[in-house]
Amino acid sequence: MATTLHIHSLSKTFPGQVALNDVALDIEEGEVHALVGQNGSGKSTLIKILAGFHQPDANFVVTMRGHDFAMGSAVAAHEAGIRFVHQDLGLVEAVSTVENLALGFGYDTSFGRRINWAAETKRAKQALLDLGFDINVRAPVATLGAAARTGVAIARALQDTKEGISILVLDEPTASLPGADVDTLFEAVRRLTKRGISVVFVSHHLEEVFDITDRVTVLRDGKVVGTKATKDLNMDSLIEMIVGRGVTSIAADRTVDASLAPRLQVQGLVGAGINGVSFSVQPGEVLGVVGLTGSGRDTMVGTLAGALTRQGDVLIDGAELKGGDPRESLTKGLSFVPVDRLRNGILALMSVRANITLSNVERNAHGGRLSHKEEKVEAAEWVKKLSVVTAGTEVPISTLSGGNQQKIMMARSFRLNPKVLLLDEPTQGVDIGAKEEIHAFVDQAASGGTAVVVCSTDTSELARLCDRVVVMYRGQITNTLTRASGLSAEKIDQLLLAGSSMATAS
Amino acid sequence: MSSTEITASAPQKSMLTRLGIDRLSALYLAGAFIVIFGIWKPDTFLSVASFKLILGENVAIGLLALAFLVPLATNSFDLSIGAMTSLSLCITTWLSDDFHRSFNMPAGLAALCGVAVCMLFGVLSGFIVVKLKVNSFIATLGLGQIVTAVLLKISDNRQITSVYSKSYLKFGSYEVFGIPVLFIYLIIIAAILWFVLEQTPVGRYLFATGGNIEAARLAGVRTDRMVWGSLITSATIAGITGVILSVKIGFFSTATGPGYLFPAIAAVFFGASQLSRRPNVWGTLLALYALALGIKGLQLVVGSGSFWVEPLFQGTTLIIAVSLASQQAVARIKKKKKTA
Repeated sequence: MATTLHIHSLSKTFPGQVALNDVALDIEEGEVHALVGQNGSGKSTLIKILAGFHQPDANFVVTMRGHDFAMGSAVAAHEAGIRFVHQDLGLVEAVSTVENLALGFGYDTSFGRRINWAAETKRAKQALLDLGFDINVRAPVATLGAAARTGVAIARALQDTKEGISILVLDEPTASLPGADVDTLFEAVRRLTKRGISVVFVSHHLEEVFDITDRVTVLRDGKVVGTKATKDLNMDSLIEMIVGRGVTSIAADRTVDASLAPRLQVQGLVGAGINGVSFSVQPGEVLGVVGLTGSGRDTMVGTLAGALTRQGDVLIDGAELKGGDPRESLTKGLSFVPVDRLRNGILALMSVRANITLSNVERNAHGGRLSHKEEKVEAAEWVKKLSVVTAGTEVPISTLSGGNQQKIMMARSFRLNPKVLLLDEPTQGVDIGAKEEIHAFVDQAASGGTAVVVCSTDTSELARLCDRVVVMYRGQITNTLTRASGLSAEKIDQLLLAGSSMATAS
Repeated sequence: MSSTEITASAPQKSMLTRLGIDRLSALYLAGAFIVIFGIWKPDTFLSVASFKLILGENVAIGLLALAFLVPLATNSFDLSIGAMTSLSLCITTWLSDDFHRSFNMPAGLAALCGVAVCMLFGVLSGFIVVKLKVNSFIATLGLGQIVTAVLLKISDNRQITSVYSKSYLKFGSYEVFGIPVLFIYLIIIAAILWFVLEQTPVGRYLFATGGNIEAARLAGVRTDRMVWGSLITSATIAGITGVILSVKIGFFSTATGPGYLFPAIAAVFFGASQLSRRPNVWGTLLALYALALGIKGLQLVVGSGSFWVEPLFQGTTLIIAVSLASQQAVARIKKKKKTA
């Protein structure tokens, strides 16, 4: 087999961070090559360099079919025949497959620049058939199944074949696919490799790596741990390669009084991506929820907080929450910090002060009139308490760094003296210093008797914060780890990765 | 990381910011108009009568601007307010008519009915926007046409004239210390709205809804109620504007009302570049009267047949004012990027 892409001595340094360190990688012709690693391992940086989105550091050696290849240029990547299909597919849902393909290719026109629909349709039909999809190419893409939509995205990526396709990168292509659809997608991938196209397969689902790939490259902390033939690996050895020997975080020293009545009780919760979940949290306990995207972990906070519709019971100190209304949750003692603070959290143009007090402005009002003076004093107290770096309480929150904005979100929630505090990715996009301060604040909240639920993809964060961690897979809790049984980032990682294989086996 | 914070805390004050030219451009513009037209047409422009005229003539536009401002705080548009004003004027005049029709209602009661009907239409537009989830721009554009249909049916597309008593019309004509009473009505309503928008929790929730509706909802703000309430408020103010027109001009004609919409919107957007740099009450009135001074001056210069001056002036100044405001915003962003 000939080597399609040869990468040697590839590094990428961002200010203050080495994302890739001396990476070497060979992609053979017609192979399916898995690229795996945890979040932050450098996987996505590598893909972005391949796509020409990032420039690698100087002194790298990259050849494409034996010729020098100017890595880090989108034009060069395209001319070299490298194509990408990302998780979100990037299709225009409202129009047909024919039109989606034409968007990337241009319409075949006849006399008077009239679109030759018959030719277009025939071409689209053939492109999809080549991949093994027999679908109605004139129907809107939105009406197609998930696998067929992925097929359309692949067909669109491959259609411009003037230079010949060399490598197709599938970035988390199965994240939103049901099991049967995954098989259809894999069938399409096998057809591609028979045409000599190499497929780089990026996935968190390790059982899929064993199903479809020929070789695996594992990245950790920006370095290649190793490249191995898939058949020489098993689940345990692969997980060991991915997780490695990390540093054990120092967890908070805290005892949870199990004799107290639970603060938060969740019974038979069903909602977006959540399929029958029950748990309870004691006063002063921090519960972690971990799971892949789509496992139910990512919708847990929104569902519990009432921002998303749900069935099942959610009780605080025995009192039930009706649900469907974030305000009800807040007034009954359930505060939450939603994920994605730019979209769901901050009011970018409003002041730090207005952002802190938003959930209860009335507190500083007397006889209907808001005391700006009192409000400023209160806001300044929160800024001091959480050591927020800001030019004052009156500047727009958008002038603050991500970590400081997140502290303001914490202040907004905690200001309501919550009995239950839900945090969704509390330190996403937050620098290390602010991260530790936010963690310390969570400890403080728990020691005050608040029941805390932390949903996070950062397993070292969970190990640092939690007394107990539940692992979710396909909408259900598949595993529980407690402090008593030993709680470490590696253990959570192992359960997280193994959780998928276990549930598939059953 | 902290470089932005340091520059933000000790900004280098330029001449521009020290004199407040960027935040008070309307005030400087008004001053410039007074000087220019005062020199050009000293006897006509610089007279008490012409200033009184400017104050009184623009009250209806000012009220409609305030009506437009309230839903705009929640990032909703109410384009039905011009038609609502007509409807209120139509109903008030129609119900108090004792000559052609037999309602013969006391003018005060008829005025209350006019405002109440507008308020109900406000409830309807809120329902369409909040419950039927129709974009407010579309919803109120459509509802405005429906309101126009109602008033055309009532009035038969004719004027309704000479129905008011002298004592009723006096509410629109007397003066307090030489200031037209109509202007005082405007200031009272403006003061109430300023208080609600800037000095109460509700005002904060309205602007929060307009700033990021999903974030506000997740923070516990009743965003649906804010949007709905703001549309009821705008319709009600439009109703009051109709009543004020009834005491000011004393008759109904279908031409009165819709024409006020554009200058009102222009004043709000121009005003949003003033003072706190977001839609605000006093900035709106400042902008409105700065424009009014310019229009009046130009009309005096051009002389008779100068109707075309007003829309030309309003259109031009709106575009210039908003483009200047967005230039400032762009400059701010650039500056931030440089220091970051």
